[in-house]
Amino acid sequence: MPSIALQLILNGLIAGAVYALVASGFSLIYSVTKFMHFAHGAVLAIAAYALFTLAVSAGINFYAAILLTLVFACIVGVLMDWAVYRPLRKRKASSAVLLIASIALMTLVNAIVLAVWGADVKTIPTINPVFDVLGARITLVQVIIIAVSAILLLALWFLMKRTKLGKAMRAVADNKDVAQTVGINPERIYTWTFIIGSLLAGVAGVLIGIEQNLYPQMGVSLVIKGFTGAVIGSLVSVPGSVLGSFILGLVENIGIWWLPSGYKDAIAFVLLFIFLLFRPTGLLGVKVREA
Amino acid sequence: MAFVNYLIHLAILIGMYSILTVALNFAVGFTGLLNLGHIGFFGIGAYASALLALQLGWPLWLSILAGGSVAMIAGILLALPTTRLKGDYLALATLGFAFIMGSVARNWTELTRGALGIPGIPKIVSDNTQFLIIVLIIAVITYIVFFMLSRSRFGKACQAIRDDELAAKMLGKNTFLHKISALGISAFFAGIAGALFSHYITFIDPSIFGLGDIILLFSMLIVGGLGSVKGSAIGTIVLFLIPEPLRFIGFPSSILGPMREIIFALILLLILIYRPRGLFGKVDLA
Repeated sequence: MPSIALQLILNGLIAGAVYALVASGFSLIYSVTKFMHFAHGAVLAIAAYALFTLAVSAGINFYAAILLTLVFACIVGVLMDWAVYRPLRKRKASSAVLLIASIALMTLVNAIVLAVWGADVKTIPTINPVFDVLGARITLVQVIIIAVSAILLLALWFLMKRTKLGKAMRAVADNKDVAQTVGINPERIYTWTFIIGSLLAGVAGVLIGIEQNLYPQMGVSLVIKGFTGAVIGSLVSVPGSVLGSFILGLVENIGIWWLPSGYKDAIAFVLLFIFLLFRPTGLLGVKVREA
Repeated sequence: MAFVNYLIHLAILIGMYSILTVALNFAVGFTGLLNLGHIGFFGIGAYASALLALQLGWPLWLSILAGGSVAMIAGILLALPTTRLKGDYLALATLGFAFIMGSVARNWTELTRGALGIPGIPKIVSDNTQFLIIVLIIAVITYIVFFMLSRSRFGKACQAIRDDELAAKMLGKNTFLHKISALGISAFFAGIAGALFSHYITFIDPSIFGLGDIILLFSMLIVGGLGSVKGSAIGTIVLFLIPEPLRFIGFPSSILGPMREIIFALILLLILIYRPRGLFGKVDLA
């Protein structure tokens, strides 16, 4: 049955694009700051809920709501950096401490979402026509997700390789102290990194919020997928993390050909395990610098 | 009377969670293994003991010991490939382990009934006061075991591995074996705590492997202080008591749960920023 095979591959690409949206911001922040910002998933979730409140509850113009949501996501991300990560960096906390702090931030924002919006599943209704591709189905929003993740990837590549800010970010990523001696302020670069990374989380929150249902734990499961994709590709490289995300999406969706669909998550964790144990630098294999 | 029952309930929970925290401290604080999957051992112990008691009719003292042993085997199996990983990567692999266990509990429905959970788990004693005494005895035994362990040659070697693994190796210590044993012992007591939990609450479901509980555990651990058995016990008491006044303000229960998680996360963040060694901590988180 070729159309089922095609549908599984298509589903894999769609899931891969969703994970890539999460993974690109996560690995951008990791590559510059050298710690795992798990609360990235919480930024995504609270952005999706903000869009729900603005567009559905308050009923303001949909595009204006999206714009406000993206600004909101950037603010949340930067506040996390200023309020929590910056004081920890100041006292030279290890990356393990920052990792635990980021998980604490994630549960904090999750619990806030749960308290404010409640545990019930929410949907953002949109017009979403379905297309037929050789017998397989894909929705307009899914096409947009794939297109946006491709555009964002190109934009990120341009930012990192061609702009002054991108070069400064790479300098800080490479060696913070040397960057400082040539006049780059690392704290300013970290702030910019969180703005751009959280903007990506906001875009992911908007698109995933429209494409799927909203539930308080959505950020946790998505950041784990995004992060797994990043480990498969390469934690320190945005193109690597995007590649890894697509591999993860494909393996998960083609895997349910053999396994019950409930095991989708388990497939991701097993892949994560295999890569952490045998190839922690990921497929693109850049050597991870000791922070 | 209702208030006395509530205090007994609280004391039972504190007793069980302090076993869990003291055990976690041995892996994280004494041996330097940043294990984020501790809650996985707790859940494994809970499920194993509940199923052995319910399906095979094992006597409870035996099923609880078996719950600890199954968790210990899981700990050793997890340690075999992962203890060579450093810091962050070990943390992630162990966190992934907890998630995989949650996924198995949700999907292996023939064994665990999936999201429906397992109801009707037999109680050890019907009277909560008697159960409290049992929990406290086991908790005190746990503290003594870990206190003696930390003073033993084995415990000293574990602390040496935490401080400088290469140096410990050069002094002829088998660091691999020490790390596996440390995680196995830690997992055993976490499994015992989980088994006690399941026979007290009488119902378990996959939410036992939740992320919120990992944060609660680390709050208790870090508030108490790494490398201090006393600290972990006191950290558990402190963190259980802090959110309790909320109960009497009269928030609806849908708000109460998230409020507790918000408080735990805030406490953990504040401690990490302002007092990273907690109350009795001897070392920093590597």
